[in-house]
This record gives sequence, structure tokens and C-alpha cells, in this order.
Amino acid sequence: MRFTANTRIGIACGVAASIFTLFSARLIHLHVAKHDEYSRLAAKKHSIRQVIHAKRGMILDCHGEILATNLPVRTVTADASRMKNPEALAALAASHLGLDGKEVLNKFSTGKKYIVLKREVPEETAMALWNEMQKQKLKGLYLEQDAVRIYPNGEVLGHVLGFLDHEGKAVQGVEMSMNGQLAGKDGYRFIERDRTGREIVLYRGLEEEPEHGKNVRLTIDMGLQSIVEEELDAAFKDLKPETANAVLVNPKTGAILAMACRPCFNPNEPGKAKPEQMKNRSIIDMVEPGSTFKIVVASGALNEGKVDEKTSIFCENGRFAYGGRILKDHHGYGHMDVHEILVKSSNIGSAKMALMMGGDKFYEYVRRFGFGQRLGVELPGEIPGLVHPPARWDKLTITRMPMGHSIAVTPLQITMGMSVIANGGRLMTPTIIDSVETETGEVAVKKNPVLMREVVPEKTARYVADALVGVTQPGGTAAFARVNGFQVAGKTGTAQKVSPSGGYAAGKYVVSFVGFMPAEDPSFVLLVMVDDAKIASNLNYGGLVAAPIFSRIAERAARHLDLTPNMPPIPLQPAPIASAATMQERDN
Amino acid sequence: MNTELTTPVNSNPIQIGKILCVSTGVALLLAVGLGFVYVKNQQFAIGEQIRQTERKIHQVRAENDVLLAKVTELTSRPALQQQVKSGYIAVVNITGDKIARLTPPVQATEDGILRTAFNEASRQ
Repeated sequence: MRFTANTRIGIACGVAASIFTLFSARLIHLHVAKHDEYSRLAAKKHSIRQVIHAKRGMILDCHGEILATNLPVRTVTADASRMKNPEALAALAASHLGLDGKEVLNKFSTGKKYIVLKREVPEETAMALWNEMQKQKLKGLYLEQDAVRIYPNGEVLGHVLGFLDHEGKAVQGVEMSMNGQLAGKDGYRFIERDRTGREIVLYRGLEEEPEHGKNVRLTIDMGLQSIVEEELDAAFKDLKPETANAVLVNPKTGAILAMACRPCFNPNEPGKAKPEQMKNRSIIDMVEPGSTFKIVVASGALNEGKVDEKTSIFCENGRFAYGGRILKDHHGYGHMDVHEILVKSSNIGSAKMALMMGGDKFYEYVRRFGFGQRLGVELPGEIPGLVHPPARWDKLTITRMPMGHSIAVTPLQITMGMSVIANGGRLMTPTIIDSVETETGEVAVKKNPVLMREVVPEKTARYVADALVGVTQPGGTAAFARVNGFQVAGKTGTAQKVSPSGGYAAGKYVVSFVGFMPAEDPSFVLLVMVDDAKIASNLNYGGLVAAPIFSRIAERAARHLDLTPNMPPIPLQPAPIASAATMQERDN
Repeated sequence: MNTELTTPVNSNPIQIGKILCVSTGVALLLAVGLGFVYVKNQQFAIGEQIRQTERKIHQVRAENDVLLAKVTELTSRPALQQQVKSGYIAVVNITGDKIARLTPPVQATEDGILRTAFNEASRQ
């Protein structure tokens, strides 16, 4: 078959056109469809991904006082492949960074491209080194941006704030629970460098700005926190207990105003602390609450109509046989109403109220007060405590639980339990976060008070509160909790310590006082708990150990909050000197 | 009619117009090329300036952050308490008549007895 010239030309042109079309199609495919993929590949080959670190947000108290902030530091690195005079550079680096010159030179001689010489170098030192390096026209050292977390108040509030480990990972406290908000998001930038290692700004690639961490404002008032810490310190020094803690809460909002534990640790130096010092005992320690728990049975029995204001309960003259065991009161009491049972802290009266209610109903009130459940405070590690259901109770439990035995609760739960009475029967969710703010101070998230549940009607709560005022009056168990000018309501607690080997530890007590002030319109609820104070056992009671501490804190807190006194002055009377010195004298 | 065919074959006239045209084109190309190189150089120089300025900004910010951290530490509660203890600074009581209250206390007495702790004495 023969083709004409025109056909041949047409075929040749067609083939050429097809080839060019194919190439063009491939070119378009590579440039358009595969653009991102090949751009990334090219960037990988020539570009360096430079991380732009996000600044961690600050932690502030409710008035904006800085509790945790960042201190910029530098990490000094070296690239041995770019050095022209390693000896001079080693000498310079060693003199500025306080390192051994020979060791530095040995590191340089490895020829590695990335050598970390020293971390956490102060900004001034790093800049002095850099300027000297420029002056001597030396090359090969680099300064990387870094930051260390600092806590200006040291040990104060250490348990609540938590800390960051050496890798910058949040370990406990607010640092951990609010890490998502505080940490922010690192940005990045793809850069290219010239042969001297300098960035070529013209060839900057993809860039994403860092998202700096947000500031977290706590409900903590550092004025109140300092008062609590000072008084707890004094008590810890004086009474030498194993542990001590205090929680101060606004009962109307559930806002935690102060929270302190002893022993404590300095979050600036977490490596020096023992694990025991790092526990926030207010939320992760379980204790038997003792008589402070009597408010639960009294509220429940009143609300269920099992007793009323006039009901008289026979307190068996101090010895009540039940379930094959004798339940005792401190003093023998006859007939008493609910008010007197609370004021005198009668175990038998409380047990009888629980028996009137029945196990199931009593258990229901225990749970309604928030015991046996996590209250949801924004701190990691909160435990629910230990409250067995009636099916697992033995014969004695119903007479022991009303006086705060056979149950384990956290100090925060006790405080919130008392807040129910102070807040007209309403249980608020405890909170330690007030708001989350942007770097410029705009509120990003505002936390509002959350009502957990209405535990008892206001009338019942009012009646119990009135009875608790009697506890701090002369003749009550906590007369030393009184504060001049104010009416204080509260309840003492004295519980024998549970031994790790089972049963109770002889002569060891956890004593507490939880109360609120002013009783008629509470501004705060305060719990003071002292575990195993080294004092004479005849003085180791909540009313004698914890109540005076409560009084001192409450008096100073009233000044801080500018509460107006509305009661006439009361005569001063000395509190018992219940101290380690007393114990020593007795032993001698 | 094609006039070029009528031009004598041995003549070699200098076509000034064409030379000028080519020269202008070459000059323009040269100018564009040089301009491009100049602009590129300028871009690199500006890039270097940007880098230096960024470094300075970063440096100033870092210094600012260091100073803020120092101020925070020096004005922290424990530091102030330490200064009060050492007598470096003193706390002066404000007398009642110097305080302007929006809601005057109802029963507070002038001498402040009502605000004394009940068992403050027990600490001594």
C-alpha cells in the first residue's frame, strides 16, 4: 500500500502531535494533580521543618496574680561539620557555659551535625556567648529557643498547680488537667539554608503560626490561700502530725478558694520531693470522717419525717447494746432532741436516727450528699471514696456509719457535704477553674456554678445549720472554733486511724473541724483536718486541735473578705496548748 | 510587486533600522536581565534584613519575658513576705478613718475589737 505525500505528512504530524500531547498531559498531571505530593517531596529534600514553639499559658489566681509562668531559656547546640576552629569554639563555649573544655572539644571531634552542649541556659548567658562568637568570627554553635516553667510562690499551692517534668510533660494538678488549654499548638516553617547554614528567607516555604496556650484563671484567692498555708504551716510545726490539710470553699458556687496540704513540695524542684509529699490529700486520701458525718443522718432523718424538731431520742445513758456490741458516748446522755444530739455529738443518738431511717434510706442520703462518688473537680486523680451499699453491710454498719466509721471519704467530700447545709440544701459541683482566657485577656471559656442536686429542702438545712451553731457555743464540742464578731456553725470529727494491717491503730487519730461562717449567710466553708497530731491523747480531739486552727483561719479570712461583724464581742479564753511539746512533757 | 528582487546582487547596504532594532532588543534584554539580577539581589538583601529584624524582635521578646518572669518572682507573695520579715519593706496599718467604705459596717467598733481572733492568743 502506498501513501500519498499528504497522508505521510499527516501521519508524521499526527504521531508528533500525539507524542507532544502525551508529554503535555503528563506535564499537566505532574504539575496539577501531583503538585502537592511532589512539592512535599521537594520540600523534604531541600527544606528543613523549623518548629516555632507555642508559649505555654499562665495560671492565674482569681485576681490575676501569676501562679505559673514561663522563663525563656536556650539550648546550646553545635554542628561540628561547620566549624573552622573547633579549639577556639570549645574554649569559648566552655568558659560561658561552665563546661569542661576538653569534654566539649571531644564532642566536637566526633564530627556530628547535632550536638547538644547544654540545656536551660539563661538568655543573658546565651546571648553573651553568641555575641562573643560573632566578635571572634567563629561558626558552628546554635541557640535553640526553649522555656522552663516557674512557680513564683514556691511551695504555696504546689499540689493544686502540679508541675512539668524534664520533657515538658504535665504531671499533676491544673497543669495536667488543663494541659489541652495551656499547651497551645506549635507552629512550623519550611526553610532552606545556604552553605554557611544561614536561612535563605527568600525560599521560605509553607508556614503555620503557633497557637499560643491560653491562660487559666483559678477560683483560688491567693490572699486566702496564704492565710490557710501559714496557719497550716504553724500547726504542722507545732503539732507534728503525719499530714494536715485544709479546704476553703464558697458554698454558694462550689468555687474552691484555697486548698492546702502538708507535707508539701516545691513544684520548681519536683525531683527533690518524695512521692508522699506530692499527694494532693484533699482529693486522693481516704479517711473516716468521724462525727462530721452526723450531719448526713440528722438531715436525712429530719427530711424523711422520722424525727422532727421536738422528737426526743433516748441516748441510753451512754451505753447502747446493738448487734452484740456496745456503742458508747463520751458522756452518758438521756433524752435529747436532734439539736442536742448534734451539739453534744452523740453517737448513740445518731445511730438511733439511722435505725429509724433504715439502711436503704440512710445509704440514699449518704450518696445524695456526694459521698462515694467523684465530685468532678478539675484536678486529676480524684477518688470516689468507699461507701458500701447496704447489701454489703454487716450488722453493726448502720450504727457505725452515722458517726463516720465504716466509710471512707475524701476531705473535699466532707467540705462539700457541709456546703450542702451552708447552701440551703443544695450541693454544688466543686470547681477550681474560673475561666480560660486568651493571651490578650479575652475570656474564651467562663465556668458558671453548676448545681449538682438539691439534697434536702432549705428548711431542713436551716435547722441543721442552727444546731451546728450550737456546736461552737459554750457547752458544744467546738467552742474553740468561735470567731469574735461572727456566728460560726460547724462540726468536729475525731476518728481513730485505720491501720494498714487491719483494724484501728491504737492512739492514732484523724481529727477535723468543718464549719462555715457567717452562719446566717455563709461566705465560706472551711475544713481543717489533722492526721495523727503528736499530742497527749486526752487532747487529741477535733474540738481541741482542729477547731482553734479553724478559728484563726476564719478570723483572718473574714478580714480578707471584709465581712462585717454582726455579733457582740465575746470574752477571750485560752485554747489548750496542744502541741508536741506537751506530748514530750507527758512522756518525760 | 516584489521590489527586493530588483536590488543589485553585489550591493551590501547597512540596514541601520534593523541594527537599531536588534540593538535595542538586546539592550532591553540586557536591562531586563540585569534588572532581574538586581531585584533578586535586593530580595536576598531584604530577606537578610527580615531575618535580622526577626532575630531582634525575638531577642527583645525573650528579654521582655525574662524581665516579666523576674518581676513576677520579685513581687510574689513569698518574696514580699521575706522582704517584710527582713524589714526591707514595712506594712503600715491604715486607720479606720482613712478607709472610705461604700457600705459602712453596721456594728464594727472603732478599735477593731470585734475583728480580733477568739483564740489568737493561744498561738503564743
